[in-house]
Amino acid sequence: MIFSKDRIGGTLLLVFCLTYGLLSQNITLLPIQAKAAFTARTMPEVLTVLGIGLSMLVIIFPGSPDRPKLAGFNWGTAALFLVLMSAYGLTVRPIGFIASTSVFLIAGFALLGERSLVKLILVAVPLVVGFWVLMTQGLDVFIEPLPWFLKG
Amino acid sequence: MIEGILIGLGTALTPINILFVLTGCLVGTFIGMLPGLGPMSAIALMIPVAASLEPSTGIILMAAVYYGAIFGGSTSSILINAPGVASTVATSFDGYPMAKQGKAGKALAIAAYSSFSGGIISAIFLIIAAPYLAAVSLSFHSSDYFALMVLGLTAVAAFAGKGDVLKALLMTVVGLMLSTVGTDQTQGVPRFTLGMIDLTDGISFLLLVMATFALSEALIAILKPSSDDSREAERKASSNLGSMAISKAEVKEMAPVIGRSSVLGFIIGVLPGAGATIASFLAYGTEQRLAGPEKGKEFGKGSIRGLSAPETANNAAATGSFVPLLTLGIPGSGTTAIMLGALIGYGIQPGPRLYIDEPDVFWSVIVSMWIGNIVLLILNLPLIPYIAKILAIPARFLLPLILFFSLIGVYFVSFNTFDIQLMVLFGFIAVVLRFLDFPMAPMILGFILGGMMEENLRRALLINDDSWSFMWQRPLTLTILVIAVSCLFAPILWGRFQRLRKGADRAGEGG
Repeated sequence: MIFSKDRIGGTLLLVFCLTYGLLSQNITLLPIQAKAAFTARTMPEVLTVLGIGLSMLVIIFPGSPDRPKLAGFNWGTAALFLVLMSAYGLTVRPIGFIASTSVFLIAGFALLGERSLVKLILVAVPLVVGFWVLMTQGLDVFIEPLPWFLKG
Repeated sequence: MIEGILIGLGTALTPINILFVLTGCLVGTFIGMLPGLGPMSAIALMIPVAASLEPSTGIILMAAVYYGAIFGGSTSSILINAPGVASTVATSFDGYPMAKQGKAGKALAIAAYSSFSGGIISAIFLIIAAPYLAAVSLSFHSSDYFALMVLGLTAVAAFAGKGDVLKALLMTVVGLMLSTVGTDQTQGVPRFTLGMIDLTDGISFLLLVMATFALSEALIAILKPSSDDSREAERKASSNLGSMAISKAEVKEMAPVIGRSSVLGFIIGVLPGAGATIASFLAYGTEQRLAGPEKGKEFGKGSIRGLSAPETANNAAATGSFVPLLTLGIPGSGTTAIMLGALIGYGIQPGPRLYIDEPDVFWSVIVSMWIGNIVLLILNLPLIPYIAKILAIPARFLLPLILFFSLIGVYFVSFNTFDIQLMVLFGFIAVVLRFLDFPMAPMILGFILGGMMEENLRRALLINDDSWSFMWQRPLTLTILVIAVSCLFAPILWGRFQRLRKGADRAGEGG
């Protein structure tokens, strides 16, 4: 009951609301608005009070006593996917759309259990090239396909 | 009204728009059929495509995807007992038992005819109700809009279910907080940007929706892999559907159910926050009670009424939820909240002026609902045996593709790789919060309404010489605020009342 899902979530969001409240004090106010009823800080301050109050209520009066179950989930694979997506964001520009997306998909398929190299390449590469052609030729959205060292 | 319908028909029936309705219905059915992905993810995935189109075409595409996804969700509920979304859970109660009896084709046909009828009937209600409501809401002031937004947000939380009201309210506040990130609209000062230039324009609505729905749903599917047995069941279910014919007696049995559930679904859909899920369960419960003891026993074992009622009601509610969006500019559900975000992206402000300023958008959305429903019935139903093959695509190929389309969809709008990193961060946070059973839809609703709410509150204060008295001095504002507060406390008071009654009953039995 102490570490119920609601209480853990409520505590995390309480920390978020407190941080938000602290940061709201950094919002610059123009001198003429110092005495105005509504400034750039009004809404954030009201929300901070509401957020802190509600997260405290969630912690004090949790709706369900369920505790989080951590066993039986593929935490490692999900974490690797987060890293893979972040890496994709970092590489899509320097190494170009086709190479970075192909690597992303091949790695993704492999992480979820596909072992045949032929299948990995045959599914990922034509799909990426086809998508690139559709976007650039069909919808007029230009995406740099090649790495930085091959750009014209 | 006739003139409006003709404008709508003129806009919606152009070859390009018909093509997008067809594409939207098909793509929506595909996405909606994938367990875990619902209409919200389907629409979110379509936003980057819709952004490059004309406003009418873009909205028509999204409306078609919406209907397609609901239809697709029903299909996976019936075939493999895996409702993609909460609104099709009630469909699986009788749809899946029918499929197990070898009548999957019949169940799909009943679901399709019921959805079609619910959608068409409620679109007629929409045509009648929307212009009147829009005309009335023209007299609304900023303070009334502020109060309406408070009502919309509290209603969503109030309908969240037992024990979830506080969590839903908290998530709404988190959404409102996220909406304040970026440059303040009135003073031009940065708020919560942490000194990052990439945050000066605020958090992209598309990014947040994609991260909290499409991305997090795919990540949750990776966390919880389906067993080989269930994959085998999916393959079997999608390969043998049986006959899709419906007898006259079955039509006779369905007709009154469809009539009642359409009215019920539409009314529930119009209420902010209620939506398709509540409508489908209410319709199911109502029909079970009306069926009498004999027929009532069939519910849960493959009853035609039990399948038809929730299917009709969820589609009718989906249409009904467009009423507050189109007439007041206030979304009644997570899905219409995403639609609202997309409309704002086009520079179109939904609300009473939409009916006057952008009649082509207003009417083409309504007409596209009819066209979408017809397309679903004529094209998608016969194609179901083929579309259902998607259930056989291995998850190891499908999930990375969903992640890719989510990431690239956001990247194509801004071409800023910072957005991909921010999306991964939000996706991770969404997975954690969903794992802890914190709802995402109220957050999206809060995020979308946040900017408008702040602007209307600021304007109301300006008009009232910086006095907050407008909240109790203007009768309409006060009435709406009182309804909002009642909405919030009604479930708590109702729960107390039920407990007291049970206590009194027990005391009576004991004494």
